[in-house]
Amino acid sequence: MHSFLSRGNAILAYTLSVLSFLTFVCFLSTVLVDSRTEVDINTVKIVVKNVADYSAAREKNDLGFITFDLQANLTKIFNWNVKQLFLYLTAEYNTTANILNQVVLWDRIILRGENADLKLKNMNTKYYFWDDGNGLRGHKNITLSLHWNIIPNAGRLLTVPAIGQHTFKFPEEYIDNRV
Amino acid sequence: MTFLGIPTHMDYEGQGFAEKLSRIIVTLFGAVGLIWGYIIQHFSQTCWILFAGFVLASVLTVPPWPMYRRKQLNWQKPRNTDDQANNKNKKKK
Repeated sequence: MHSFLSRGNAILAYTLSVLSFLTFVCFLSTVLVDSRTEVDINTVKIVVKNVADYSAAREKNDLGFITFDLQANLTKIFNWNVKQLFLYLTAEYNTTANILNQVVLWDRIILRGENADLKLKNMNTKYYFWDDGNGLRGHKNITLSLHWNIIPNAGRLLTVPAIGQHTFKFPEEYIDNRV
Repeated sequence: MTFLGIPTHMDYEGQGFAEKLSRIIVTLFGAVGLIWGYIIQHFSQTCWILFAGFVLASVLTVPPWPMYRRKQLNWQKPRNTDDQANNKNKKKK
């Protein structure tokens, strides 16, 4: 009954069962962890242009240009059930056209082991800050907020909002020349 | 019973002991790996320790080491049963 191969098979199968149990324990040990952290966001340069978005239509839309500072120490978020973080910075505002506009301006992947103590100064955005109309010029209440996805070894793919936001306003005049 | 020309026989009690031993080793390494991985907060270390337990259990309990062959069954000596076998074959046909 217990031949050479069936013994090897039994050990392998039992090891994999134990591995799945350990993975589940790893998930359970981090299910109640609170991953929110304070973040400090500031804007440095804020201008708005009115140019044609040729990727969508030939009409002129508002295009915002901002640079920002961002300080956050995310080192504590990395526990044994976190493989990487995906950070993304969004601008939220409302216009007459839409109750809620959300534009992702910047993102970054932080792998475990990389420096997670962010001290970013005067960063450019990675993505264009297009409005789908002319809602940006002179807007008084644009909110920048940071979220991150936690990519775990086992468990849920969480989206965690950072504690702390930054609100800024766009200038009343368009800028014509290059920024 | 042979595997690639190597005899793989374990006696009856040896089989039971081998299975029990392999489960104890894998469980123990898994538990130690879980604790150590939690202490240093690296789940990969947990997996490696469990894998080490798997390798150790395989080495100790898959090959038919002599300690699994100490209680051989005492079979009766084969009797000359040629006549009976022939009779049975005839009946089947």
